[in-house]
Amino acid sequence: MEILVLVKPVPESESRLRPSPDGRQLDTEGVKFVLAGYDESAVEQALLLKESVPGSKVRAVALGPAARAEEVLRATLALGCDAATLLEAPPGRELDGAETARALALAAAKGPADLILLGKQSGDQETGILPTALAARIGRPGFSNVLDLRWDPGSNRFRFARATEAGEERWEVPAPLVVGLQQAWNDPRTAKLQNILRSRKLPIDRIPAAEVAAALGPAPRESATKFLLPPPRTGAKMIEYGRPEEAAEQLVRILRDTARVLP
Amino acid sequence: MAALPAGFGMPEFDLTEDQRALQEMARKFARSVMAPRAAECDRKGLFPEDIYRKGWELGLMNLNVPSEYGGSGLSLFDQCMIVEELAYGCGGMTTSIIANCLALEPILLGGTEDQRRSVLTPFCREYQMASFCLTEPGGGSDAGGLQTLARKDGDSYVVSGEKCFITNAPHAKLFTVFTTVDPALRHKGITAFYVPRDTEGIVPGKDEEKMGHRASSTSTVRFENVRIPVSQRLGAEGDGFSVAMRTLDMTRTPIGALATGIGQAALDHAAAYSLQRRSFGKPIGEHQAIQMKLARMATLLHASRLLTRHAARLIDGGQNATLESSMAKSFASDAAMEVTDEAIQIFGGYGYMKEYPVEKLHRDAKLTQIYEGSNEIQRIVIARELLKKYQH
Ligand SMILES: Cc1cc2nc3c(=O)[nH]c(=O)nc-3n(C[C@H](O)[C@H](O)[C@H](O)COP(=O)(O)OP(=O)(O)OC[C@H]3O[C@@H](n4cnc5c(N)ncnc54)[C@H](O)[C@@H]3O)c2cc1C
Repeated sequence: MEILVLVKPVPESESRLRPSPDGRQLDTEGVKFVLAGYDESAVEQALLLKESVPGSKVRAVALGPAARAEEVLRATLALGCDAATLLEAPPGRELDGAETARALALAAAKGPADLILLGKQSGDQETGILPTALAARIGRPGFSNVLDLRWDPGSNRFRFARATEAGEERWEVPAPLVVGLQQAWNDPRTAKLQNILRSRKLPIDRIPAAEVAAALGPAPRESATKFLLPPPRTGAKMIEYGRPEEAAEQLVRILRDTARVLP
Repeated sequence: MAALPAGFGMPEFDLTEDQRALQEMARKFARSVMAPRAAECDRKGLFPEDIYRKGWELGLMNLNVPSEYGGSGLSLFDQCMIVEELAYGCGGMTTSIIANCLALEPILLGGTEDQRRSVLTPFCREYQMASFCLTEPGGGSDAGGLQTLARKDGDSYVVSGEKCFITNAPHAKLFTVFTTVDPALRHKGITAFYVPRDTEGIVPGKDEEKMGHRASSTSTVRFENVRIPVSQRLGAEGDGFSVAMRTLDMTRTPIGALATGIGQAALDHAAAYSLQRRSFGKPIGEHQAIQMKLARMATLLHASRLLTRHAARLIDGGQNATLESSMAKSFASDAAMEVTDEAIQIFGGYGYMKEYPVEKLHRDAKLTQIYEGSNEIQRIVIARELLKKYQH
């Protein structure tokens, strides 16, 4: 089975974020970009499938500024992916979901993948567009919010569930398909030290920025005008106490007299 | 949680991308696997074997063993970087994790190629612990005066005596042991062996109750007429003292890194607390007296890290760094004592409570002044090396 797993470099969750000097975007100076969130689970899922279906290969694909994307791809290689493709983002151009799908379609076109796996949404922007946008772009069935993805060799189909507002759907779908994964249940593995060192020396295939730019088409008509951090939260009230009983007493007083949520 | 500085703007101390990737992996393991269990293991004196096993799986256990024998084969610089990260999570667990490095180093330094291959390769293939048996009840610092006797008998030795304070001994599958063929010869009689645990006559004692590093296990080991074949001797008769000293030359520097990791955890806790705890209408971190403490703590840790990394760099470059590694170990461990002490002070009464993390850090820091050559011995070494430079 040929699996493509798409990973996005996102700011480390502990980073201190701030707007860029022109106020239009995130200032990425000094921010570390990592493999995280649903993408991390998608890589784990790809590796689990690879381990359960002999002869499978997993290729990781990342789109972004070269240095950033390379670090994330190296992390996937250390975890056990077999190959990696780096799509260099055209410098100075913000990509929206549809454009990202066009760029990633380039990597999908390079080889026949039975399964294209990605997180149901990225760890930073969380638009959730990509799984279906990519599926539409490359003309394959696409599913998002997918849980419990397995390969059934008997029926030659993928079996999975989808979590929806109304309940859970169960699906059986033959390859090829695009899957946006929703879960953190698979407890992503940690790379072994030896594999980290080995992965540093593996080659990474590159699709240069010019080729990516050509695939994108004309510049988008919409653009972000301002980047704002959420306002600092105020109104928190610290309870200072000696004994827990005192804390409880103060809390009840606040809930009753100030917040008026208790009679 | 403040990020540890990764480099210092000096090329010789800056980390490569490869090193950053290793550091990050160790950091993740320390903070997500070790730290959450540290308080409980400390309180109950638990030996978290599952964590050690996981550490082994990730390659964090036999850091110094070359990869051709199945170890991780890291430079000393990289070992230090990883040990500092691990100690940030729990000093005691780190002591148990790196005890294999200490126990296997004599085989790397004193063993023949055949011995290294036949012992280390199967040893590293599965999760196993090894112990380094040098210290005796009668004395640790004066290693030349050890009393465990090895009596030659045909093509083997019969070893009898007692070792104490041996890390991981109750769990070890392999021991490196330092003996004397004749106590009157002192240093010149010291002879080293490796011996598997299942050899008849090896009796580890019960786990000691310790002040700190309580997730680690420490006990005596009695050798009751243990028959060890000549083929398990490391080097010649009388080479043992040099093997022991060269081993400690390699493992002393990582103890500096271990102390730095403990200290960094204390600083991070104290700095965060100082911004949150208020007195006299403002965060205590805005009182200058607290700021002076934090400034000194950060400076001590920075200096510890520089000394440690510098000694490691020298050793990796094949230079003799007895002076620098003794400086690094003694300075960093003294610094960790001061930093953890001040962290308790910044936490006030809460700092003295077991419910808060900093008193454990102080108890853990204490050991780093004592083991792998006490700081008094380090300073004797520093002075000796120093004065050599003045003699003509
Ligand atoms: C938790 C723990 C784990 C350990 N793990 C191991 C292990 O795995 N393997 C192992 O072999 N050992 C281990 N040790 C032993 C440790 O290395 C020794 O405790 C240490 O070397 C000191 O020896 P000692 O305790 O016999 O003290 P002593 O040698 O009796 O020294 C007592 C005091 O006198 C000072 N002193 C001694 N000689 C001089 C001198 N010439 N000038 C000035 N001051 C001096 C010392 O610095 C110390 O302060 C461990 C110890 C502990 C506590």
